[in-house]
Amino acid sequence: MRLRFETMTSPYLVESVVESPVGLIVSESRGRVNAMTVSFFSEVAHHPTSLWVSINKQSLTHELVLESGRFSLIVLHEEQKEIALFCGTVSGRDCDKCSRLALYRGSQGLLHLEHALASVACRVSETRDLGDHTLFLAAILGGEFDSRQTFRRHLLTTDLASPK
Amino acid sequence: MRLPAATIWDIKIQCVCSIVTAREGTDVELWMCGNFGQASLDPPRIVINPNRLYPIEAAMRRERRFAINVAPASARDAVIRASRMRRRGPNKARVVGLPLREDGQHGIPYLEGCLRTLFCEVEQVLDTGDHRVMIARVLESRVNPAHEGERPLLYPEVSGTPSKWPALSKVVRTAITATGLKDAVRGLMSRHRGAPPAPDLPANTYRQGGQTEEEIREILRHGVRDEGRMIAPPERPPAALARKVGVCVAGTGQWGSFHCNLFHKADPNVELYVCGRDANRAARLARACGARDYIVGLEKAAEDPRIEALALILPHHLHAWGVGLAAAAGKHALVEKPIATTLEESDAMIEAAHRAGVILMVAEDVHFRPAIREAVAAIARGDIGEPLYFKAHAGGLLRPEGWKADARLMGGGVLMDIGVHYARAVRLVMGEPDRVLATRAQQVNTKISGDDSVQVLFSSQLGWQAHMLLSWAGPRGHSPDVIVLGEGGVLHLWPGAGYVDLYPATPLPAVQLLSHVRPAWLAEKLILPRIERVRLPLAGEDQRGYLTEVREFLAAVAEGRQPATVPRDARRDLEIVLRAYEALREQTWVGVGSPSVTPSSRGGGPDGSCCL
Repeated sequence: MRLRFETMTSPYLVESVVESPVGLIVSESRGRVNAMTVSFFSEVAHHPTSLWVSINKQSLTHELVLESGRFSLIVLHEEQKEIALFCGTVSGRDCDKCSRLALYRGSQGLLHLEHALASVACRVSETRDLGDHTLFLAAILGGEFDSRQTFRRHLLTTDLASPK
Repeated sequence: MRLPAATIWDIKIQCVCSIVTAREGTDVELWMCGNFGQASLDPPRIVINPNRLYPIEAAMRRERRFAINVAPASARDAVIRASRMRRRGPNKARVVGLPLREDGQHGIPYLEGCLRTLFCEVEQVLDTGDHRVMIARVLESRVNPAHEGERPLLYPEVSGTPSKWPALSKVVRTAITATGLKDAVRGLMSRHRGAPPAPDLPANTYRQGGQTEEEIREILRHGVRDEGRMIAPPERPPAALARKVGVCVAGTGQWGSFHCNLFHKADPNVELYVCGRDANRAARLARACGARDYIVGLEKAAEDPRIEALALILPHHLHAWGVGLAAAAGKHALVEKPIATTLEESDAMIEAAHRAGVILMVAEDVHFRPAIREAVAAIARGDIGEPLYFKAHAGGLLRPEGWKADARLMGGGVLMDIGVHYARAVRLVMGEPDRVLATRAQQVNTKISGDDSVQVLFSSQLGWQAHMLLSWAGPRGHSPDVIVLGEGGVLHLWPGAGYVDLYPATPLPAVQLLSHVRPAWLAEKLILPRIERVRLPLAGEDQRGYLTEVREFLAAVAEGRQPATVPRDARRDLEIVLRAYEALREQTWVGVGSPSVTPSSRGGGPDGSCCL
């Protein structure tokens, strides 16, 4: 599916203080499913193998991740700009974004994205209040990647707009 | 083709490359980091997760302030150097060649020339396993306009075994991946060997790069930083003499003759004289080495106004007497190693030179040996990871006669004669030892009163050990005289060779390729030692360091400065050897104390330097 979007003026781009990789958080709870563009994520530790993602408290994804305690982190590559713009400009409360994405169920039972740089299944282990955001620390349960995309580089926030 | 991720590195969450800087005492710690990100907008915060095995973690936790220096894509080589540098080593910025600056506004050290710098202050530290998550407020995000429009360097561009030709490598990788060739090969292998079981990502990640609390405690038992080196090889060769220097070599034996030739070759501004007890012998040597004149008797040489410096190539027990004469006459002195046979004599010599305001330098060629300098640099670069073992094998068949056969005049046997050299090598390469144990096989040469063979073991609280096998009892054969083994490779230092051999733990590409050859015995035949090694060339012709040592002494005299190695260094070598003799007598571990002077505290005064 081809999604066409113009550049976005999200605060995550214009108010960010550093260049970051761009990904999606796919979350599900009580029959509701949502995909949201994120750029606030990275690694926590190798043992226990874990990562963190910071999510805006106002978002539907925040609600779903808190409810289910599980999510997928999809790491996007440079050719997936339109997916990032789509999932970063439309609210999951207004639109079923996931129906327009090539999602599939990974081995851990969580939704992954076809042709992404990587998809990671996570289980929340700890949360921290950061004011406008919540920091989720999560155990990495497993992951998958598309062997045909490994030569591509990460999609960066600078590919969407320049940080300040 | 969808593939399961085997480790955390397969899921690509390490992305933007940076070098983190934080103050560590008078030094600055560095860490190549691909694991950080912004975590809130107002106020802007970042989250970063330093590895607990790295000294940067303690520095960030203690100082609470640090900088994230985001690397531009063009800084690939520098970031690769930073990622490979030795974990516990000090002076990382200097080793990697990064321009370190101090920010006046935030009081945080940072690197010049980056894409942007985030100046950060730690708000929270979370115990999250083998890495510690730090939540930090961004005090300032400073963009470098020189890199406007350039993207940051990304972790996959520097991880693994980075290619020497990244552009070519990318083309090849793209071709074999995008065309499905890689998948086809993978499919074939899978059909041949059977499908592999689904990987356990957390377990694999732990095996390849994770640590439990117990493992972290064990690894950090010997300290998170290694600041055990009190001496270092000179950074640059001495300058040529800008004026004439009158030097007299005292000693007409084989070694005196060797030194006459060294001084003759060292610099055209050397005005050489020879001194000996026997007039005929001194005259002969003076003629042979192109000296201006010869002098009979050291007392006369010391008083000769044409002579500015004396090279005392004398028996060990006469070193103190010779330096006393030189100092009393206001002459600079280069004295053969060991500095003396006792610490008391050493102290008296150092004090005499200090009082007279003259240079006293001990002729320790190891300090100037290019292979030692290269080994020190290779360790600092991280070529062998953390150094664990130092092994020296030196000597060779020798039947000493005259004063060298008398332990009272020599101060011992082979351990005294050669041990001081390798004690210096251990100190330069590994650092200061804490304890010593010595033992030996039966004496073969019963015509000498000193030891004709010995083996010595040193240990350090920093987690390394050193072994010396010194022998005049049998031949040495063809082997490196020094081997330095680390977790990431091994270095072979060959006496007199113009190179150092590095055998890295990670096989070189040719070895990796040949390792797939079947049958296995053929692969073993094909993987020769010469394709397993990296030969590190040494600059210059003076591979043993003797000429540089003499030039350094001359330059120090001409420039009125202290030489690159001060007599306290040689006193410490002697102290270590004397403790080894004590261990040999007692047949138990003996402490070797700690050096009383660090390089930074060197200056004029009784620390052993001259007071010019």
